Amino acid sequence: MLQATLARRQGGFELEVELEVEAGRTLVLVGESGSGKTTLLRLLAGLATPKQGRIELGGETWFDSAGGLQLPASGRSLGYVTQDYALFPHLTVQQNVAFGLRAQGLGASLSRERARESLAQLGVEELAPRRPADLSGGQQQRVALARALVLEPRLLLLDEPLSALDLQTRRTIRAELRRILTTRSCVTVYVTHSPLEAMAFGEQIAVMESGRITQIGSRDDLLRHPRSRYVAEFMGVNLFQGRIVSRDATGMARVKTVEGELSVVDPGGEAEVYVAVNPREIALFLEPPTGSAQNLFSGPVTELLPEPPNGERVRVSLGTHPPLVAEVTRQAVGALGLREGLLVHAAFKATGITTYR
Amino acid sequence: MTGVRVPVRQLALRSGVGILLGMLLILLALPLLSVLLRVTPATLIDRLHQPVVIQALKLSLIASAAATLVVVLLGLPAAYLLATRRFPGKRVVEVLVDLPMVLPPTVAGFALLLAFGRAGLAGHVLHWFGVSLPFTTLGVVVAQVFMAIPFFISPARAGLASVERRYLDAASTLRASEAYTFFHVMLPLSLPSLLAGTAMAWARALGEFGATITFAGNLPGVTQTMPLAVYVEMQNDLDSAVALSVLLLVMSFTLLVGLRYAPGGLFWKADASGDAR
Repeated sequence: MLQATLARRQGGFELEVELEVEAGRTLVLVGESGSGKTTLLRLLAGLATPKQGRIELGGETWFDSAGGLQLPASGRSLGYVTQDYALFPHLTVQQNVAFGLRAQGLGASLSRERARESLAQLGVEELAPRRPADLSGGQQQRVALARALVLEPRLLLLDEPLSALDLQTRRTIRAELRRILTTRSCVTVYVTHSPLEAMAFGEQIAVMESGRITQIGSRDDLLRHPRSRYVAEFMGVNLFQGRIVSRDATGMARVKTVEGELSVVDPGGEAEVYVAVNPREIALFLEPPTGSAQNLFSGPVTELLPEPPNGERVRVSLGTHPPLVAEVTRQAVGALGLREGLLVHAAFKATGITTYR
Repeated sequence: MTGVRVPVRQLALRSGVGILLGMLLILLALPLLSVLLRVTPATLIDRLHQPVVIQALKLSLIASAAATLVVVLLGLPAAYLLATRRFPGKRVVEVLVDLPMVLPPTVAGFALLLAFGRAGLAGHVLHWFGVSLPFTTLGVVVAQVFMAIPFFISPARAGLASVERRYLDAASTLRASEAYTFFHVMLPLSLPSLLAGTAMAWARALGEFGATITFAGNLPGVTQTMPLAVYVEMQNDLDSAVALSVLLLVMSFTLLVGLRYAPGGLFWKADASGDAR
């Protein structure tokens, strides 16, 4: 198990993080560039020094500011695959993978054997005699991973391991990576800026914003109960923070947010709540509807954005109060004649909203 | 003819630069050609068999090779520390290390004599151990080391410092010690610079004159290296001086071309930076 409490200040940037990851599990760290993800990895790796805190891995203390203990990177059982892989250009693939073994004094032939095995596990054994410069991005990625895994690290740090790859390769390697990691008993911290990748990868996802982890949970947690605008935008849901201002006998409540009021199913309890509205629950009309939707807002269309993969669904940003993002089909866009600036009416039922504290 | 008209001022500038470049090339090449064309190949080969030439050649090769070895041995750790560490007094070390490059060689030789001569500070101690530097071959080596060391340290330091941080980080996360990283990552990655520095230092040692003659004297077979022999033979037998000069020229040229310009592509492909992007 990895337990880390870290604080560091550099220039105007402050990082303050607390982490706990079970052995054999993967924590996906997701956040914008500049949010401190790589800094956090470097602190865990021992390539940078925290101002204060503690890093413990499976009962072994790697860093303790109180006790003045700092294990250098070379003394930690870790694998660190950086964004650019940093394969040694003067060594062959096999020598690259054997590097860590040789550095620890393992014999040449045994190291070679183990390096071959590690390369074979990643399906790139035939690359052994080649130089890094002759490899494609995907091949370099696998070699870098083989080089890290051959040392059987207890902590595996992966910094945007797929970002340098084309989309096709990315999907293949992601699946492979997941398969490999499930067979390992090490703690993995996987950094990405892509929510999609986080979702695809993580059982446990931590969201990082300007040096802090603002939410940590399962992907369902994050999808259903985002706790910041940033996370919500990541997950593509409308999020509002507000307080319940009135309740009625039918179990409904009114929530007042900074931007406007919403009707929700009364969650009971305290007044401060988050309200998440799934964009697919929002219906759009040219004339005010007469149905049973309890929430009705009017405003102009501000942006139309076809969703991947094929634009079958379109995200429609609305200049309503509160501002909403709806997701409708391409057919609906055509039928309604949606375009930027067109005044529309957005409706969604109270039951289509998730309200939580 | 409808040729493009080049403005007069631009034309003047171009021809001006051309003339200056021509003058520079003449200044550099003419003396070399004069040496090479001075005697016939037959005379050259004959003079190369002169005892004074052979003696000087032998001494120069041995002394400069030894000096280069010492330069690398002493210079590499210094270059490494200067490239990777910050320490109090670093500026002083930097200046000290660069000093021989700007010091007049005779001053350097004289200073060496004052330090390591019989009456000198260190000379006293050395004498006590039965070692004497002035007017010995060992003294030649010391003078050459003194004069040549900045020519190694400077490029070596630059080369070591230019090894990218990410490779050093990668090595340490692969549990390599600092020493292992030095020998297996830094050294091979900066090898072209190190070899260039070695070549420069060697060439400098080979051509050293002022410090050698001041500190070690001009004893044939003992301290009379090739540059010293050239100087002596100039007043003695001009053809021998020419032969020695041609020999020195060829050796320096070989060193320069062989070690300075060739190694870039020798060890791994020059474009093998390992970048994925």
